[in-house]
Amino acid sequence: MNGHVLVDQLAKTYITRQRRGLFKSETKEVPALKGVSLEIKPGELFGLLGPNGAGKTTLIKCLTTLLLPSAGRAVINGHELTRDDNAIRATTGCMLMGERGLYWKLTARENLVFFGALYHLSPADRRKRADDLIEQLDLGEIADRALESYSSGQRMKVAFAKALINDAPLLILDEPTNTLDVPSARELRAVVRQLNDQGKTVIYTTHIMSEAETLCDRVAIIDHGQVLALGTVPELKASLAREAVLRIEGVISSRASQAVAALGGVTRTAVQAVNGHTELTVMAADGAALLPRLIETLTTHQAVIQKIAPEEVTLEDVFIARTGRTLAEDTRAVPASQN
Amino acid sequence: MTHPHSRVGRPTFGQTLSAALAETQLRLINITRYPGQMVMEVVIPIVFAAMPMLLGRASGPDAAANFAANTGTTNYVAYLLIGSAVFTIVSGAFWHVAYWIRFEQETGTLEAVYLTPTSTLTLASGVALYSVIRGLTTAFIAYVIGCLIFQVNPFSGDLLVALLFVLSGLVPLYGMALVFGAVVLRVKESSAIVNLMQWVVSFLMGMFFPVSIFPPLLRWAALLFPPTWMTNGVRSALLGVGFFFDVWYLDLAVLWVFMLFAPLFGFWVFNRVERSVQRNEGIGQF
Repeated sequence: MNGHVLVDQLAKTYITRQRRGLFKSETKEVPALKGVSLEIKPGELFGLLGPNGAGKTTLIKCLTTLLLPSAGRAVINGHELTRDDNAIRATTGCMLMGERGLYWKLTARENLVFFGALYHLSPADRRKRADDLIEQLDLGEIADRALESYSSGQRMKVAFAKALINDAPLLILDEPTNTLDVPSARELRAVVRQLNDQGKTVIYTTHIMSEAETLCDRVAIIDHGQVLALGTVPELKASLAREAVLRIEGVISSRASQAVAALGGVTRTAVQAVNGHTELTVMAADGAALLPRLIETLTTHQAVIQKIAPEEVTLEDVFIARTGRTLAEDTRAVPASQN
Repeated sequence: MTHPHSRVGRPTFGQTLSAALAETQLRLINITRYPGQMVMEVVIPIVFAAMPMLLGRASGPDAAANFAANTGTTNYVAYLLIGSAVFTIVSGAFWHVAYWIRFEQETGTLEAVYLTPTSTLTLASGVALYSVIRGLTTAFIAYVIGCLIFQVNPFSGDLLVALLFVLSGLVPLYGMALVFGAVVLRVKESSAIVNLMQWVVSFLMGMFFPVSIFPPLLRWAALLFPPTWMTNGVRSALLGVGFFFDVWYLDLAVLWVFMLFAPLFGFWVFNRVERSVQRNEGIGQF
């Protein structure tokens, strides 16, 4: 079956070597995937959400045959992983390492024609396909210049074109809008949506919540090598509908946020730095009842409140509720259960 | 448009050949964008050969006589130039195959080509063909220019037999290069390994001297290297220094035995290492 992905209890454990002085070292097992199971239906635009180190790239590398899983099985486009790897590669288009997967001394056209040959297109087909993609992605003006003269965003576009060269029924895109400016990212998302409308299955990894929210039919939230939540965006939001979400902006110390996390009725908190101030997200069973105690606790702990507002549940809130942290790099998680 | 996935990852011979040639073409296009590299590859073998050549001339007329007594030819200019030209081909095989793996690992393109249904065997064949074209071209140009500079006839002797030895020696050479490619893939270290191996092999193959002057153990070790037979075969065909088995076709037969086993051994080692790397950190990890 084309565009169908079935993952059953897929696990991956890395063996790493830990240095212990000049001559000593010991091996350590690091579980990166802990029995991931999911099914992606043909024609679906499926989002994989997770912070760095969550296991989403390991999962993608296993599905694209770059890594052998330690346990479990997967069937991609009707082909069994580790048994029919070549068939999986032939029926999948991948954009995994962004601009790094291209030959920078070659032009965009030369790169596309070369990869077309590796996907076994005939010489005429690979040239035509390269021409079509160059036109579709508006690369015409730069297509015959060496990639080393491109901007990072332009190279990302060529990498995206490379993923489309074999016209595969399944597309695996790993953070494809990284390094793209806002209009280019919007343009690329539109092409992804268009390809999905034409029937292609798309697996789209991202750490940008709004991207997953607006683009994906279903989303899996991955952290610590496990799928923590899976469903459509409305389904995931509905799972938090019983909770209120309060967003507080200002100058908030870690002691103040810990005190808030310890308040009765608070189910989860997360803190992140945004544009020079702190943003504290609080989830609670009853937001209205919590509000006076929340303000009192913050002011007692010398917090400066610039803005406080109840908010609609977002995918980010779902992520916070499931993982206890935001996707932002500088994140300190304060799970209420630990206080 | 022909749908590539209609054959579900099982390409025809024509598609495989086309992919291998695309790999060769990619590398040839790439090297034309580094013109200095080509000039360097022509100049270095001449300079390499010139150093012992000039030392010999500085040592007086007895040096040439001693050289002739040990090697069987008075044409030490061509002897040394053949050694350094064959060394260019041997060195190129190691750099173009083993170093290529490391370079592409670092630039990210190794993962990109592994995502395609083209097998490693096909890719390696394309790289080997590129290396043959590049190595033979630069070695030939360097040899001819070197001979012209030092005023000796580059085309004396049996050219056809010499060419047979060069072509027969290339196949086992790429088998060996694949083994070192596997080592590079495993230890993720290229420059030191490739540098060490190219010098060890150039020493054992008798780049500037006949391996007959080695102590017995080292001589036997040298005879296990296909480049030793390749170098001696070319020298014997062009300069008449003497084949190991006295007749050219027996020496060539030894190279053909290497030709049968070395590539198979190379691919076997490479596939095992490749699978092991996939089992742990992955192909693209560097």
